[in-house]
Amino acid sequence: MTHPAHLDYDVLADLAEGLLDEARAASVNEHLDSCAPCRDLSADLADVSRLLAEAPAPSLPPDLAARIDSALAAESRGDAPVVSLAERRGRRPWRILSAAAAAVVVLGGGGLVAQTVLEGGDDTSSTTAQQPLADPTRPSDAPLAVQVWRPTSSGTAYRAATLAGQVRDRLAQAATSAQAPPADERLTGCVNRVTGGRPPALVDRATLDGGAALIIAVRAQSRLDVWAVDPACSADDPKILQHTG
Amino acid sequence: MASVSMPRLEEIPDKELLALHAAGDPHAFSTLVQRHRDRMWAVALRTLGDPEEAADALQDACLSAFRAAARFRGDAAVTTWLHRIVVNACLDRIRRKSVRPATPMGDDATFDAVAPKLPDPSDAHGVSLDVQDALAAIPFEQRAALVLVDMMGYSVEDAARVLEVPAGTIKSRCARGRARLAPLLRHHRNRKEARNVGGVEGGGVPT
Repeated sequence: MTHPAHLDYDVLADLAEGLLDEARAASVNEHLDSCAPCRDLSADLADVSRLLAEAPAPSLPPDLAARIDSALAAESRGDAPVVSLAERRGRRPWRILSAAAAAVVVLGGGGLVAQTVLEGGDDTSSTTAQQPLADPTRPSDAPLAVQVWRPTSSGTAYRAATLAGQVRDRLAQAATSAQAPPADERLTGCVNRVTGGRPPALVDRATLDGGAALIIAVRAQSRLDVWAVDPACSADDPKILQHTG
Repeated sequence: MASVSMPRLEEIPDKELLALHAAGDPHAFSTLVQRHRDRMWAVALRTLGDPEEAADALQDACLSAFRAAARFRGDAAVTTWLHRIVVNACLDRIRRKSVRPATPMGDDATFDAVAPKLPDPSDAHGVSLDVQDALAAIPFEQRAALVLVDMMGYSVEDAARVLEVPAGTIKSRCARGRARLAPLLRHHRNRKEARNVGGVEGGGVPT
């Protein structure tokens, strides 16, 4: 036997990463020069890296993307009692809905209902309230560096009788809806006129009782101001169809 | 009222998005996440194997990053920071599930499961599943290093920054991991020359 000490994958992997000292690397290389089976093992290792590199990247499931958008939107609203990582242990699909639903209910003006939603069979809910805005570096009323809202075109068929509730539902899903192109000058003027300059939580091109309408919502503390305006709304003439809040 | 020009968040660099987020911008962070979430997902799924666990880890990571953004230090790339948070979220998931093995199958079972797929080594889907199974059979630290270096294309130095260990440790983990994966994946080798495998089945020859 001319090869008293065949090489194993560990030594060859170390060699490939330059982890062997000079003397050991020299003897390993010498062995490889004269030993086909060990060269074959060495090629196996190179193939491992190749197979890993060639593995197709998994695509992000759309429902997961939507779920994360919703979770971030709920967190971003800040006044929502976001369920902590610890509390979410063991919960499965509905927990994100819980966080989103809680956010909406709180916006609607009541923490009690939100608490009920969050309980959902979990006996630790008394500690679910988190303080996402307690971080002193992020005061909730800090002036925004830029005004960033974009209209959506959800196509939702709003009804005058249920407008506020539908808006709350939309806000829970706002991050997942298709965004329309940025607002043009007229729409910006319209929204500023309607909201009195406050940043809108929602600007949604949709219908109200079957007629085209623009739905605008603004959060104010625990209240939600909702307007339905004619699509021709402008800064000069807001054409408000309905206002609830 | 004069028109308000709409800044295109999509065109703002990562670090500025984080700064906007820290300043209270409600959309900056989700823009950042949307920009990087495909790669974050790839890291989470490959590191954990289980899609449901990986989904939870990715969400945990996004929320952690959201809350920790104010503490981001500008000396690292935002992607490095995000990937570190993803890997830590994955590790956190594994620790919680420590009673359960990372893979539902042991090494032998993995080997048995991949062996019948021999007839079609070019089947990309089959290879991908085998790679995932094989990855699940190696320790987390080796897997995380290989996911970053061999699968995601990070340099050893960048992977070291993500995992917060010395570059030499990354090299060592990659070497150990490749050595363990080699016998699990060698049936996918597609070299033309005749194999000379006598006596080396099972991952090595006694020295």
